[in-house]
This record gives sequence, structure tokens and C-alpha cells, in this order.
Amino acid sequence: MKNKLISYVTFVIVLLIILSPQYATAQSFDYDRLYNIIKDYTVIVDVKMEVSFGVHTNEQADRYLGTIVTDDGLVIFNGFTFNGVRALSSFSGFSIKTTPTEIKITTLDGKKYDGEYIGVDRYTQIGFIKIKTENNEKFKPVKFQNIKNFKVGSWVTLYTLLPDFVNPPVAADIGMISTVVKTPQFFPLTVGFNSIQLTSVLFNEALEPVGVLGELNNPSSSSFATGGLMESSNPSSNMTLLGIVTGEQLEKLIANPPQKGKTDHSWLGITLQALTKDMAQFWHLDIPGGIIVNDVMKNSPADNAGLEVGDIIYKVNGQQVEIDKEEKIPIFQRLISEMEPGTSVEFSVLRRAQEGGVDSLTLLATLQKAPMAAMDAPEYENKDLEFKVRNLVFSDYLYYNLDSATFHGVVVSALTQGGLADIEGLSMGDIIQKINNQPVNNIDDVKEIMKKMKREYAQGNHLFCLA
Amino acid sequence: MLKFLIGFIFLAASIFAVTPVESIQQDIYNARDRVMPALVHIQPVIKDYNTGELEKQAVIGSGVIFHKDGYVVTNYHVAGRAERILCTLSDKEIVPAKFIGGDPLTDIAVLKLDLSNYSGKIKVAEFGNSDSVQVGQYVIAMGSPLALSRSISVGVISTKDRYFGSDVRLPSGERTGRYNLWIQTDAAINPGNSGGPLVDLQGQIIGINSRATLYANNIGFAIPINIVKKVTDIILTKGKVTRSWIGLHCQALQELENYFGANRNSGVLIASIDPGSPAEKSFLRAGDIILEVDGQPVSARFVEELPKFYSLIADHKPGSEISLKVLRNEQEYTFKVTTKQLGDLQGEDFECKKWGFTVKAITKQMQIDYQLTDTVGAFVVGVKPLSTADNGGLRRADVIVKVNNDDLKNFSDFIDHYDKYSLANVDKVLLTIKRSGATRYVLLKVDNNKGDTLDEK
Repeated sequence: MKNKLISYVTFVIVLLIILSPQYATAQSFDYDRLYNIIKDYTVIVDVKMEVSFGVHTNEQADRYLGTIVTDDGLVIFNGFTFNGVRALSSFSGFSIKTTPTEIKITTLDGKKYDGEYIGVDRYTQIGFIKIKTENNEKFKPVKFQNIKNFKVGSWVTLYTLLPDFVNPPVAADIGMISTVVKTPQFFPLTVGFNSIQLTSVLFNEALEPVGVLGELNNPSSSSFATGGLMESSNPSSNMTLLGIVTGEQLEKLIANPPQKGKTDHSWLGITLQALTKDMAQFWHLDIPGGIIVNDVMKNSPADNAGLEVGDIIYKVNGQQVEIDKEEKIPIFQRLISEMEPGTSVEFSVLRRAQEGGVDSLTLLATLQKAPMAAMDAPEYENKDLEFKVRNLVFSDYLYYNLDSATFHGVVVSALTQGGLADIEGLSMGDIIQKINNQPVNNIDDVKEIMKKMKREYAQGNHLFCLA
Repeated sequence: MLKFLIGFIFLAASIFAVTPVESIQQDIYNARDRVMPALVHIQPVIKDYNTGELEKQAVIGSGVIFHKDGYVVTNYHVAGRAERILCTLSDKEIVPAKFIGGDPLTDIAVLKLDLSNYSGKIKVAEFGNSDSVQVGQYVIAMGSPLALSRSISVGVISTKDRYFGSDVRLPSGERTGRYNLWIQTDAAINPGNSGGPLVDLQGQIIGINSRATLYANNIGFAIPINIVKKVTDIILTKGKVTRSWIGLHCQALQELENYFGANRNSGVLIASIDPGSPAEKSFLRAGDIILEVDGQPVSARFVEELPKFYSLIADHKPGSEISLKVLRNEQEYTFKVTTKQLGDLQGEDFECKKWGFTVKAITKQMQIDYQLTDTVGAFVVGVKPLSTADNGGLRRADVIVKVNNDDLKNFSDFIDHYDKYSLANVDKVLLTIKRSGATRYVLLKVDNNKGDTLDEK
């Protein structure tokens, strides 16, 4: 009896020691068990891609660690290379464009599949691929845990993809939550990992998948329409911040993955500026921050709602907009862009009257789908003349200061160096308005005209271009 | 007899073998003696506003006296924006000079030497005829390469009709080259040669050296002297070159004549027309081919022929009517266009020292260049790093349209506001600016204790 009691007490003490969190170390992860968990949904993604620099195109092959996230075979991977869906990315005539041409997916036990490229989320850079299956094969996806309490000092682990001459293909790595960032967004920061591990699944000490490794970007370096980028030479602001894209965020993304060429976010149609504390003081406005409307695009949700240049937005749906620095503008942009198109949003606006007074207004805007980015615009390639053109998009009109109602054409988006079009004097970014005196409104017109002219090439075709 | 014969052969050989070289050598000496005494080493102090504050730079250029009253021709980019000019004559005497006039579009400027304290006698060099020069002809470049004054280099004319398009810009930002071709030479031209003469073996000036290709071996360019003669004559008689403007941009016809039909191998193809220009108002259109100007046939099959056509239009008196016969869709039409004066390329500069930026007045040409809605306001040329304006978010190419609550009527209105607020030590000023069509606000928080001295008026 006494012995039994002693052994019971000993058992409880040992149990307490084992379960006690302060003893958690790298050793506390049971990697045999973890490998068994991940092997069902961890895959290797081999992507062949075409990288176009406009004047020439390279073939490239890359290898990523992927994770199956739905039972029908949706896979996430590090889509940094493909981040073409950056909305309103300013003029793209000269940018690098990456197009996947072949995707192969291999499971850890060696099964091979073809994959189809879906898209990349523009904030997290998480890429999406769909496994092509013969007879609706079902997979065992990862189930992210929705954990909100991230404790500084607790351990997290992940698997890294090793180079292809090494077998087994994956190896474990360990890191620690170093702080929980509050602004510009909620983001548990980690130490111990590096950028090549982005989008790897992170597990806590209970071996629960809590999210994937992501990067916190300086919002001011990725923004369009802030009017100007705040570039900093301060080394600390260029530090790479890795951390956890949480299960909650991932769930939303997985339920509605971004589609290439499909604009899935909303816009308001303004260019904007932060209301700094100094400006608020100068205008005697008693608000902690806001958005100054710099420009209102014609027929945009902002225009329809009656927003005017010079208006100061200080509340969105009753919530204070505490934007007092240019760097914080992306918070507002993201807030708007992540709402569903069609959503009604209530803006509380201050309008400074001519006489010096300030009017307070409430305006209701119905958000619309954001216009297509230049990268996603449909393209037409002419192999004989060796050039590509794409449709004009919203940012072109903005960039060139053109009137979208009266100005039509197509933009030269790629040229082969030394190709006919190049030699004939076309340049990247030229806007073709007429071909052989026939007006060109979009790539379909170009296709039509080129088809008709096919036989005239031998005599030398001439384009009349206006830029 | 044999001795005599040998002696004769020897003599003949010496005459035929040696004389040409000796003669070229002699020609170079002669040309040198005719032009070197008129050669001028120019040291202007130019004003640069691009960094957001007025910076004065001492630069070096070359020039040549072409008129007995002490007029010197040089490049506009040497002395065009100069504040103070010193000239070293060939006898090493230094005399001050005054800027008389300049023309950025042909990169020509005229200075006048102040000879009141000069006891010597100036020499004048002669202009030749650049139309009759030949490719391969010997030329001598004279000037101050890399500030090494009184240097000469010898070469040949490599090409006499080099075309650079109208997008060549001077260091100060003005477009140049629309109205002239260049003489290309392999006589060494280096920075500092600018404004110096390119001379033929007769000792006549056939060009004004003005640019060179960097990192190349002896690819230099001179403005043909016939263009220089024309421009300097106008500057001496009228003080300033005025040109007509109708807003045309043309393209060599050769590139497209197959498309327009093989028999159409003459005419000038309009590539684009400036919005709001006289040509646009007269219903000329891109794609039209100009066949005649005032009844005279014109043609630009090759780009090298474009400057001549542009000059033909520009040489009309501003406000006069030009009749243009054009071909459009196989039909001939005649349009009458009333020209306007081609305005200044760049406006007057101003430094807002206390606020940390520089501005310039907006000319009609700048409005077209930068696609601005009008010429009202002040164009930001530069913003000094970490200045009040920089901290407030002002950028190059912003247009200031409002200071506090006052809409600006014109450029001097802006200067008045600046003077008023900076003199009164106002510590917060709100600028309303236009940037890419959008309206932004820049709050200047002026630190009046910083001890900035006020601008001298």
C-alpha cells in the first residue's frame, strides 16, 4: 500500500515534470511522430517556368516544399517568384514576369502527380497549386489549429526541403517565438528560421500545426498610391522579419484562394495621403489621424459616393482611422481591399469649407472589384514579328494621364531583341493605336488585323506607332 | 651625265615624296596662326538649382572671337546660365565677359569681352562654310580639353550629317539638336573643348565643338558653322532667337513608304502632334504626309533631313500663316496653320533657401513636356535632403499651386508669398501641390532658430 502510494506519487511527479512547460526544449519534440503526421500532406513541388524580362525570356526550374491543404488536392508553396497579382502594381511594361509552364508534385512516399498553377496571395506571397488527379482522389490535408495565444519563448518547429541530391528530402529545424507584433498587423515573430523556409508548416510543442512561416513586410515598401514610397536607408528597417501566418488567416485564404488574372479584391478609387499629427493640428482637427483624398478616379466607388479631393476620411464603419504617417497607409488600403466587392462602407468625412470651417459628412460607398493589374492583362503574341502586346489597364491610364473614355490601344509588353518589331523601331511600353490605319482597341483587334495581313509579311509589314 | 641623272632623280623623289607631308604640316601651322590668336579659354560660374539649393559651379569651356568688337561664340551649355564669366585670351591675359544671348536649341551662346582694361589688340577668326566640307577632310580642334588651355588636336571629318533626334538634352535639362545636324570628327574632343572652334586647313572655322561620346576613342561632334552664323547673327541683331511653333513631330518617311505606296517616296510624315498646338487646331493629323510648305516641295525620307524641315517651319515669323499641302488617305488637302512663337524651354529659377527647395516658372514647353494642365504655379526643381521641404514630403517635379489659402496666379506670385512668409518667420506653411494629377498637401515646419540667412534680393 505504502509502496503503491510512493510509486503513484513518483508517477505524478514524473508526469508533472514531463508536462511542465518550463522544461520544454528541442528534445521535447517527438520527430518520429511528427514525420508520420506530415508525410501525408507534405509534397515536393517542381516548377518549370518562363521568366520574361520583356526583351528576352529565360527558362528556369525551381523546387519547393508544398503542403496539401484540402482533400481535393490544393497545395500551398512559397509563391514569391510568382507574385504577379500585386494589384495596381504601377506600370509593368518593364517588369519581370514569371509564368509556370510545367508543375510536377511528388509526395514523400514517391507518388507523382501533375499540378496546375492557381495563383499567389499578394500579401503573404503564399502560392497555390492544384493537384490534377484521375478519379477525384482524396488527400489527407493539414488541418491548421486556430491558436490565438502565442507565448514568447515557446518553441516551434518545421521541415525544410533539402537539395535534390540528398535523401531523405526533408530535415527538421527549430525556432522560438521571439515577440508578438501588434502593428502594423498581428504577427507572432520567430527566430531561428530563414527565408528559404517560407510557407513551411509550423508546429507548436503539442505538435499542432499552428500556421506557416511568413514574412512581415515593411508596408511602406510595397505600396502603390501612397503618392510616394518612403525609402529608408536605416538598416534596422530593412531587417527580414519572419514569423507565423496563423491558422485563422490561412483558413480564409484556403477557402478562397487567389486566382491568377482574377481580381479578387475591392477598391475605392482614390489616391491618398496620411493626415499627420502636424497637419491635423494645423487645420485644428481633433482626430488622431486620417486619410486625405488626393485624387478621385472617375466613376469609381469613391466618385459615386461623392468623395472629393481634399476630403479627410477619419472613420470607416464607425471605426477610427488612426493613420498619421505615410507608412501606415497600407493598413487602410488593406482594410478596403480585403472587403468583398459590393460591400457598403460608411465613411465619416471632414470637408474643409472655403471660409475656413469644417463640415462633417457621412458618405456611403459601394465597393467595386479593383481594376486588373497590368501583369494580368490578356496578352497577344505575334511570333513572326516577335512581339507581345497586352490590353491597356487602369494603371496605364493613370501613369500616362490618359482619358479612358477616348483613348484606346494596346501596350507593347515584350519584344525579342533583334526581332522584326524591335528592328522596325517598336519599344517596350509603346502604345499602338493604329495598325495600317486601322484603329486598335484591344488585343482582339490586333489578332484580327494580323491574321488578315499574314500574307503581306513577305513584302515587309509596317506599323505606325504612337507612344 | 650619270651624276646629273642621279641628281635629278634624287631631286624629283624628294619633291614628290616629301612635299605633301610638308604641305599639310605647313597648312596646320598656317591654320593655327590664323585661329589660335582668337581662341578664348572661358571660366564661367554657372548656377545649378537641381539639388534643391543654389549651387555655384566653376566650369571650363572654350570659345573663339568672331567679331572685332570682342564678341565670342561658345556653347550655350558653357555660358548660358553663367553668373560671372572670365576669359583668358591667347596672350594669357584674363578679361571679364558678359553674356549677350544664347540659344539652347542649337547650343550656341554669344559673349562680349570687356576690353576696357585690356591693352593688347584682339584678333578675330573667320567663319568658313560648313556646307562645302567633305568627309575625310583634315580638321583641327582648338580649345581647353580638361581645362588645358591653348590645346590643339588634329583629325578628319568622320561624318558631316550626324543626326541625334530631338531628345538630346543639355546638362541643364533643355532639349537641343532639333534644328541641326552635327559634324562628327576624330580630332580629340574632351570636356572643356566645348565651345571651341573646329578649323579647316585654310584656317576657317567650320564648326563649334560641342559634344563628345564618353568612353569612346575620338568621336566628337561640332555644330556646323552655317547654323552658328545664322544664330549668332540673330543674337547680335535681335538679342534672342525666336522660332515659330506649330507642334509637329515627324518621322522619316522611308520606314513607312512601302506601306503608303512605292511611288510615295517624298514628303514628311507626321508622327504626332502636340495637344492644343496650332497644327492640331488646324486639323492636321498624325499619319498625314506633308508634301509642300508654302508651295515649296519638302521631303524627309531619312532622319537626317528632319532638322532642315523643322528649321523651315521654325524660321517663319511667329504669328504668320503657313500653307501645308498634305496627303491623307490618297487625297491631297491644303491646310493653313497660323504659327505661334516657340516659348522658352525652361522657366526662371528661384531658390527657397529657408524652406529647402528650388523652383522654376512653368513655360508652355514645360507644360507639354511634363503633361501639366496649365502653366500656373511653381515647378519644384530640387529638394534639399533632410530640409523642411524634404521632411514635409515635397518632391522634384511637384507643382505648387497654393500657399496656405492663396491660389497662386503665376510664378512671381509664388515668390511674393515665399518672401512674405519667410521674412515674417512664419513657422508653419501649407503648400498645396499637384503630383501626377493628384492634389497633395505639404506642411512645412520651418525652424526659424536654425540661423538660415534670408535670401538676398
